Formats: sequence, C-alpha cells, structure tokens
Amino acid sequence: MISRATPPRTGSLLPGAAPKKREVPLLVAYAFSFAFLHWTASPWGGAGFFSLWYPPAGLRFAMLWNCGPRITPWLIVAELCADIATGVIHLGAPDTLQAMTGIMRPGITYGIAIAAVRHIAREHTDTLALPPMTLGLAAVAAPALNALMVVPFEALLPSDAGRYRIGVDIAISLTGLAVGDLLGILVLAPLLLWLAAVAGAPRRMRIAMPPLRPVLEDATVIGGCLLLTIALWRAGLGAQPAPGLLAGAWIGLRHGRIAAWLAILAQVLVFLPYSAGPLDDAARLELHLGIAAVVLVTWLAGSFSDAQKTSRAAIDKRNRLLFQAERLKTLRAMSVAVIHEISQPLSTLAIEAGHLRSVTQDLDPEIADSAALVDRKARALSDLVRRLRRFGGRDVDEPSPLPVAMLMQTACQIVAAEVRGSSGRLECAAVAPDLVVQAQEIELTQALVNLLRNAFAASPGETVSVRAYAVRGEARIEVANPVTVASASAGMGVGLVIARTIIEAHGGTLVREDETACIRFALTLPLLAGATI
Amino acid sequence: MIDCMSDLLVAVLDDDADLAATVARLLTRNGVAARAFVAPQDILAMLPDRALGCVISDIQMGEMDGFAFADVLRVRDPAVALVFMTAWPTTAHAVDAVRRHGGLDYLEKPIDEPRLIAAVSEGLAWSKRERRIAAATASFTRREREVFNLLVRGHSNKEIAEHLAISARTVEDHRAAIVAKTKTNGLAQLVALSRGEET
Repeated sequence: MISRATPPRTGSLLPGAAPKKREVPLLVAYAFSFAFLHWTASPWGGAGFFSLWYPPAGLRFAMLWNCGPRITPWLIVAELCADIATGVIHLGAPDTLQAMTGIMRPGITYGIAIAAVRHIAREHTDTLALPPMTLGLAAVAAPALNALMVVPFEALLPSDAGRYRIGVDIAISLTGLAVGDLLGILVLAPLLLWLAAVAGAPRRMRIAMPPLRPVLEDATVIGGCLLLTIALWRAGLGAQPAPGLLAGAWIGLRHGRIAAWLAILAQVLVFLPYSAGPLDDAARLELHLGIAAVVLVTWLAGSFSDAQKTSRAAIDKRNRLLFQAERLKTLRAMSVAVIHEISQPLSTLAIEAGHLRSVTQDLDPEIADSAALVDRKARALSDLVRRLRRFGGRDVDEPSPLPVAMLMQTACQIVAAEVRGSSGRLECAAVAPDLVVQAQEIELTQALVNLLRNAFAASPGETVSVRAYAVRGEARIEVANPVTVASASAGMGVGLVIARTIIEAHGGTLVREDETACIRFALTLPLLAGATI
Repeated sequence: MIDCMSDLLVAVLDDDADLAATVARLLTRNGVAARAFVAPQDILAMLPDRALGCVISDIQMGEMDGFAFADVLRVRDPAVALVFMTAWPTTAHAVDAVRRHGGLDYLEKPIDEPRLIAAVSEGLAWSKRERRIAAATASFTRREREVFNLLVRGHSNKEIAEHLAISARTVEDHRAAIVAKTKTNGLAQLVALSRGEET
C-alpha cells in the first residue's frame, strides 16, 4: 500500500470517469426522486418560469457536491430518463432537441459552478475559501450560472414555445428560474448533505443536543419576526420578508449554519403554503424574491459564522504549536547549557582516564582493563558531547555536504539514549560512506529523530530499524517498525508534520509504505553528485 | 613527546582549578614545563621574571575573559603563543580567537589531546623563534633595523640607499654594524636570523 499523507483531491472535472458501483443505485434513486420533486414544484409556477420553489435543484446540487462534478454526465442522463418517463419530454416532437438541451443545461452549469468554486477554494486561503463558505458560494453560484446560461442556450436553439421568453420578459423569466433553484438548493441541499454525511460516517455519529440558551434565543428571534410579518400582513402591507431577513442574519451570524438552516426551514414553511395559494404571478415572484433574499442572507451568514469558527480553531491550533515551539526553544537552551556544564568536568575526566590507562597498562590485567574501560567510556562520552553540542548549540545551520552515515549516526545516538530505559531496540544498518546529500544538518537530523521517535511511540518495546541506500540518484532512508496494537501517543502529533516540512524543504519526499507486518516511512533526498567528504 | 624547552614555561589558565591542573600535568608528562593558573592576574604578575612560551587559556572566566587577558598579555610580551580552549564554542569566537587575538588554535572542551599537544608544540616553537629574533635585533638602532629588514628581503645596498634616502656608503656602515652585533657571517645567516633560525 502506498499512500501520501496529504489527502487526495476530490471532484476533478474529468467527465470520462464511469460512475462507481455504489453510485449506480444512487443515480436510479435520484431519477425517481427528481421526477417526484419536479412534480411537487408545479403549484409555484407562473408565466415565463416553471416554478418559484424548485426542490429538484437542491437534490441535484447535493448529489453533485457529494459525488463531485465528475458525475455530471450521469446525472444529466438520469434527469433525461426521468423527464422522458414522466412525459416532460415527448420524443419525436418537433422541439425535442430544444427540450433536451434545456434539461441538460442545469446539470452542466451546476457541475461547472461547483468545480469552479472548489478550484478557487484550493487556490485561496482566506475566509471565503474555508470549508462551509465554499458550499455557500457554490449554492449561490450554481443557480446564478444556470440562469445566465439560458440566454446563450436559447440563442443557439430557440424554442418556438419556449419556457423562457426572450425579450422584454427575460428578466422575469431568469429571476424566476434563479429564485426557484436557489430556494430549492438552500432548503433541501443542506439536509441531504447532512444525511449523506451521517450515512457515510465510519462510526455512528453522535448527535449532540444543542445548549438550551441559543435555542431559546433563536426561537424568540424567529418567532418575533414571524409575528411581525403576520402583523404587517394583517395591516394590509402584504407578506413582507424584511423581518425574516433580520432574523435570519441574526441567527446565522450568531449560531452558524445549522441554526441558519432551521431558520430558513421555519420561514419557508410559513411562506410557501401562502405563496402556493391564489396569488397572481407578479405578486408570487415578488414574494419569492423576498424569500430568496432571506434564505440567501441567512445561509451566507451561517456559513460565514462557521468559516470564522474554523478560522479561529486554526489560529488556536497554531497558537498551541507556537507555545510548544517556545517550550522546545527553552528546552533546547537548557540542554545546551547542560552539555556545556558537562563538558568542563568531562575534559578533566577524559584526560585523567587517558593517563590512567597509559600508566596502568603494564599492571595487573584487571586494573589495566578497568582503566582502559574508563578511558574508552570517557572518550565515547566526549564524542557524544561534541556531537550533541553541534546538534543543539549552533544557531545558523547552513546547507552543506552531509554524509548520510553521519546523519544516521547522530540521530540514532540521540534516540538510542532515549529508548535505553525501555525494552525497545534501535537497529542501525551500515551506510555506504559515499552517500552524501546537500543539507542543513541540524534540521535534517531533527527530521530523522522525529521519525525514529514516532516509530518507537507506535511500537513500544519493539525493534525499530533504519537503513539507507542510493536509488535512482537519490538517497533513500527507511525507518521501519513492526505493527503493534495502537497505543495512546504522548506526542502532539506535530513530529511528522515537522519532518515532512524539513524534508520537502530539502527537495526530498517522505512517503509511508506499509506492509502487512510493518510500518515504513521512506525518506528520499537528492544525492549530491561528485561530493568529496 | 615535545622537544624539551625547559627555558620556556607553558601556562594553563582555567577558572576550573582541576582542569587547569590536569592539562598542566598532561603537558608535563609530554615533556613540557607547564604550570596551572586559575586567575589571569597570577600569570601577569609573574611576568617578566619568568619567560612564557605559550599560554593555554579558557575564554569564559570570571572578571577578565580569555580575550581581554590575551590583549593585555600581548602588550606585556609579544612573543608568547596563545591557545584558546572553551566549553561554549561559537563560530564568531573561533574566528576572533585566531584573527583578532592571535591565537594559534581554538580548542573545544572536552579537549582533543593530540590537537592540544600539537598546538602547544607549535606555539613553543613559534615563541622560541620570536624570542631569538628579538634577542638578535635588540641592540639595533632604528636605522639599523630598517636596513636589516630590507636586507633580509633581498634588496641590494644601492636599492636600500635609495629607499631610505641615504648614501650607499652609510648603508654599508650600517650593514657592518649589523653583522658585528649579530656575529653573523654573510647575508644567508642574516636571512636565517630574521626567520628565527639558529645560526
């Protein structure tokens, strides 16, 4: 299994991809639901537009958002089948082609709008590109693009008895179309997407009860505004959506998308039965325009509020990381001080141990051996202190030719000291001395140390092995640990992120390549050609 | 083993008395007359009664750090070789130690013994040369020193006369005085003298 730790991008615009197996029954169900919802929309129809409340648009949008724009062609086929089956299109009639293009247009424009919004979201990092906001933008962009595309479609294939009248009434036609779609999307799509998320969740999602206070606040606001609307209507001013607009904006901004959607639902449930009644087309269009404004403002306010929350959460996370970095900096300063303090008495010890060894070598072998052992250990300790000082004490880390063997030795020395207390073991394979990379030694050692620490954290008490070799002009270092029952890690989970950042900054890659019994991280770095160390 | 140069003492200066004593003993074992000091003032107080060949000095010390001490020492005796050692090595210090304070080496603690011995050996040889040159040229007048410096760089009497705006005859007089004072025989020996070589 090979997988990059970065999540794969979803929703490419390649329409060539066939639907996945699990999507076929979904498409069949879609066709039926589409036909049914299309039929339910008829009471809100009028001259120049099909319906001012068009729930199939919500279904289409949810489907495309969930499965990605690549499903667009299959969605169009499903819609065509539904329309042919229900007699919306009469095959063989003189305007069949026009009717079919008219039915294909919304699918195409929705697919394009969703793909475009997702593309923009990938390229930008501001609030508008944060997750809930992208859905909000797509929900507005899709019906708007659909309405705008009517003109070129009608210009290319004008229908004799067109639904969309070209000329003086075009504004009414397109507004009606956009309003109907927008209402359908914003009322139905959030519910459908939430249901899809619940169904697709790996574990049963726990639906937490919201706290009472915001619920009461929102209920009071929406209740008050609806009462005001009724009062205005009773006063003979007609069904005014302005109070609903205020309520929606307030609720959305205060409590996010879920509250916004419930507010939308409440308002739609009040207004739609009224607008389905005996109203003339102009009054109905005016009312629905108002409702669309309410729904749009409410939803965008909710999305914006949630995007702000996401953004705040990201800042909080960054703050925690910064705090951690500060602590690490302090720890580093402390370690450097300790190393320096040790080096002073160690100098004396090492020199005296060397002297002891030389003066005792002709004495009793036991004494000579002991003195030799003390000398050897003092030398090893001196070597370690020099190495550690180079690792922790240098402020400027310039890229320089670095033998991979040295990199591995330093990292292994650091980590081996940490695991000595546990029963874990570090297996460091020999490395060819000509394996040299151009690198910042301290940073790269830190990256390898992080990987080794992660391996020991994932497989406590086991043997972690590390080896390096050259492959296709690259130095490849592999850190492998056996798969064990996952244990709670004490780390912050930033070690891998830091390692990847460092390695990628060196023009390398960090890939996870798991096997059945072992977890392996492979680190590749460009080899330095012609290096002489 | 280093050549025995018993006339020149090596001073080991470190505020850690144990380390200073250990390094001094290490040098003594290697045939070098060495003494441990814990305060720079003790070394300065000893001058000029006792000639120092080399000073191995710690950098971070109490009131007077190793570099300040080196500057004072240089003024008092320019022919003392300096070797620095430190437990807080930095690149900036290493560069300063060599370029600004005339250190022969900059040793990181724990000390690498062979490198220490090599540095001290080089330092003693250098100091000995410097002292020999200083001794040989001590009795020169200012003009004789100028003539000597040009002479050992290969200039002829005529060139020296032009350079110093004096007559060739005067140059010859100075040259005779130089040879007499240094008890040398010919230009080759004068050049060897200028390099601190034994004539």
